[in-house]
Amino acid sequence: MDEARNEMAFVFPGMGPTPFDEVSRFMLTNPFARRRIAAADEVLGYSLVRRYREAGGEYTEYAQVAFLVNCLALADWHTDRQELRPAAVTGPSFGGKAAAVWAGSLGFADAVRMTAGYARLMTDYFRTHHTDVVTQSFARTPPERLREILAELDEAGEWYDISCYIDDDFTMLSLREGRLGWLERRLRSLGGLPLYTLRPPMHSSAFGELRRRAAAEVVAGMPFADPAIPLVGDLDGTVQSTGAQVRDLMLDGFVRPVRWPDVVATLRGLGVGTLHVTGTDSLFTRVPGTTTAFTVVGINPRTAMQPRRRVAV
Amino acid sequence: MWDAQFEEIMRRYVPFLDADEPLDPDASLRELGLDSMGIIEMMGTLEAAYDVRFLDEVLHLQTFATARTLWRSVSEMAEAVA
Repeated sequence: MDEARNEMAFVFPGMGPTPFDEVSRFMLTNPFARRRIAAADEVLGYSLVRRYREAGGEYTEYAQVAFLVNCLALADWHTDRQELRPAAVTGPSFGGKAAAVWAGSLGFADAVRMTAGYARLMTDYFRTHHTDVVTQSFARTPPERLREILAELDEAGEWYDISCYIDDDFTMLSLREGRLGWLERRLRSLGGLPLYTLRPPMHSSAFGELRRRAAAEVVAGMPFADPAIPLVGDLDGTVQSTGAQVRDLMLDGFVRPVRWPDVVATLRGLGVGTLHVTGTDSLFTRVPGTTTAFTVVGINPRTAMQPRRRVAV
Repeated sequence: MWDAQFEEIMRRYVPFLDADEPLDPDASLRELGLDSMGIIEMMGTLEAAYDVRFLDEVLHLQTFATARTLWRSVSEMAEAVA
């Protein structure tokens, strides 16, 4: 690691399944979490904790809002106990909303409204649109192997779209579900490891109507300020300097792929050598492209619930 | 059941197993803390250690369900290249 990269950046993670039991203690007893939850409850008009506890399903509206709230509460808690301030902030995929809040561009109440609104809209939209499309993640598939697979899909006249560039050999691809079995076999034959199938799919140019509805039904009227600290966009790694850019970023994620390696490159260019990951992340900040570029420090509900070490005098 | 090298590699990727606790061949590796990123990293380590390559049917998450299922796959691959 070169000597000039002394800065730290916050990363608000993409969302992963989080059973209520994993975060219940943090949500119920951490003062920063309780403060954020109280503010979220006012916006939502219901008890987030109660709905999250009672509703099943990994990606319900409640699970999504809880993930946003917990990530921001972890950042609050972490900021309270250390002097170091982030030189930049970013959030791949779902984490973009929390990153926009931390950068001072999007108000917390609006981020809660946006998260709940997007969750409801996506449930409604994918009930009748693209019902045969899934997004598949896979690892151990370097670019030349991926090109072979995509060429075969082209040859067969199959529709596909790359939804997420996670690392050099780690990708998410959207395609019709009928082709999934073929894709998994083809990946394995090349040494690739198929991981998770996302239903509904995400991040594809095919979802233009979803973006239009999100702009009209959810984001309309929400103010966006110019970011107060550099906010690195997850779609191409550019630093967002105006509120209008951040607004577009919040919407373009529906129709454009996440390009995490571009974010890594920008953060390095900003002199960042350490990432503080404010939330549980099992993807972006764990791939070699990230871990070889930065020192990665996890700030998660488990670390937040450990007793603070006292220094003997 | 397996060799010392396998035991040492496994222990690196199951953070919830204490150092003085035996590795149960049928314990769920997921419950011992092995997640998908751990699987990917461990595969690379096993491939280098045993000079094998995970391909085709072995590339299912079920291969990594327990130490027993994983060792079966690794030892079969190692025998095939021997």
